[in-house]
Amino acid sequence: MEIVTKNWEKINPLDINTYIRSGGYEALRKVIRETPLKVVSEIKRSGLRGRGGGGFPTGEKWEITAKIEADEKFIICNLDESEPGVYKDRIIAEKNPHQIIEGLLIGAYAIGAKRAFIYINGHYKKPAEILKIALEQAREKEFVGRGIMGSSIDVEIEIFSGAGAYICGEENALINSIEGKRGEPRLKPPHPPVSGLFGKPTIVNNAETLANVPYIIKRGADVYSKIGPSLSPGTKLFLLEGAVKNKGIFEVPLGTTAEDLIFNSLYGGGMEDGKEFWFAQIGGASGRLMPRGKLDQLLIYGPSEYPIGAGSILVVDKMADIKDLLFSWADFFHRESCGKCVPCREGTYRLWEIAKWLKNNDLKERDRENIEDILWTLSNTTFCPLGNFAAVAWSDAISMFSEEIFGK
Amino acid sequence: MSIQKILLEFEPKLENLLRVLKEINKQEKYISESDCLKVAGYFSLPLARVFSLASFFDLMNTRPVKKKIIRVCSGGPCTMKRSFEIIRQIEMLLKIEMGNDSHPKVKLETMSCLGLCDQGPVMMIDEQVFEKVRPETVDDIILDYL
Repeated sequence: MEIVTKNWEKINPLDINTYIRSGGYEALRKVIRETPLKVVSEIKRSGLRGRGGGGFPTGEKWEITAKIEADEKFIICNLDESEPGVYKDRIIAEKNPHQIIEGLLIGAYAIGAKRAFIYINGHYKKPAEILKIALEQAREKEFVGRGIMGSSIDVEIEIFSGAGAYICGEENALINSIEGKRGEPRLKPPHPPVSGLFGKPTIVNNAETLANVPYIIKRGADVYSKIGPSLSPGTKLFLLEGAVKNKGIFEVPLGTTAEDLIFNSLYGGGMEDGKEFWFAQIGGASGRLMPRGKLDQLLIYGPSEYPIGAGSILVVDKMADIKDLLFSWADFFHRESCGKCVPCREGTYRLWEIAKWLKNNDLKERDRENIEDILWTLSNTTFCPLGNFAAVAWSDAISMFSEEIFGK
Repeated sequence: MSIQKILLEFEPKLENLLRVLKEINKQEKYISESDCLKVAGYFSLPLARVFSLASFFDLMNTRPVKKKIIRVCSGGPCTMKRSFEIIRQIEMLLKIEMGNDSHPKVKLETMSCLGLCDQGPVMMIDEQVFEKVRPETVDDIILDYL
């Protein structure tokens, strides 16, 4: 089942004509003949959920903004991914940038935004260059700019490049950084669909979410909603990394099990030679650890024991050093904590310190007792979810592998 | 290029503030307090607002960078591809410790994900990115670049 990865081999990302020949921008042409609210309801009926991690229904988000009267509205494509193990949006931008641009234009029309941004990770120099060229070509063909496709609709798209901060993937922090403020989260509500960039209604959508939109418009919500489970339909790009044989990006319908993804010869193809499965981390550095016995869980958005986040799956084998991984997680969050709230700033720092001692086999008994306190504080008292995320993998590891970590 | 020249390329609108600072950092390698003062004047903002932005992001410096900085990715996928062995190898080669500032010319740090997990383990020396680094070959890279 291919929606996002379809035609990747046929398309030259630097030539818009190859995208148009494969049916590109037909969805946009179809959309501008319909009313914006009809487009919103089509996306709503499709059941599409945000692919950045939250899994919020995209159509519902659009509906909020579409129904608000405002002199100015914005739509932002979130291409800031910087979660360890996630690079799907980079690959979409490198393989088929117009798919993102078309989805963004459709979104802009649906909610009534005249200005759109693509917020791209500051490290992504090559994809930013590809998107820039793609935008120029789309402007020449009158898909972007004033009076798109001869209609009276204007949509300007700008690329905004970040400066290296994981927290800017959070929508409020992202908006703050465009406004020239520190990338810190804001108090919610109001949520961005009501009051976002410069106080105007703003939609922030992940790049993969937007890449699904042209397909839904072209083939209809009914076709899309029948792929995968009804509460979480569609396909998803998963990233397999770690001790699995075939690493990389795989597009599968949501509702596939982790077992299938890792062991099916079409996807992961099982473990690397001579390696034995220990656990899999589902959803990047902020993801839970899935033991062998839970591999039959469905990978979906919505209520689930193992949230799939942005779709990264790190397969860990029994030879791996859990202390290195514990350090890796703590190191990431301590560096990326924005510093706005004390529990996260201090908690991630102390956890990182403990991880360092643990790695050097220099952990004192009193530090060990503190771990639980720190994890509780991170899980329950931080301002935004980054602090909660920092505790997820650690909590699982402590409860599941206490013997491997601390000895008998 | 002088700061004035950079500023004149951008309208003094808030959405250009980060862009201006990134451009200054690119040209000057760091953003000084006096640069921030000029930027603050141009955008009619308090100095603290400009400086707080400049100091927030990984990709900008508010002090001159005098050392070579070696960064090795410590993300999960790179960890599974032996990035900590690479770190140990560099520590032994240069007789430094990760995160420690005592060496006069080099600093070794871990870094966050560059989104190149499929090309890992990933290492950076200043701006230069190295992919698929192996503990066995990292010595050659370091000695070549220092």
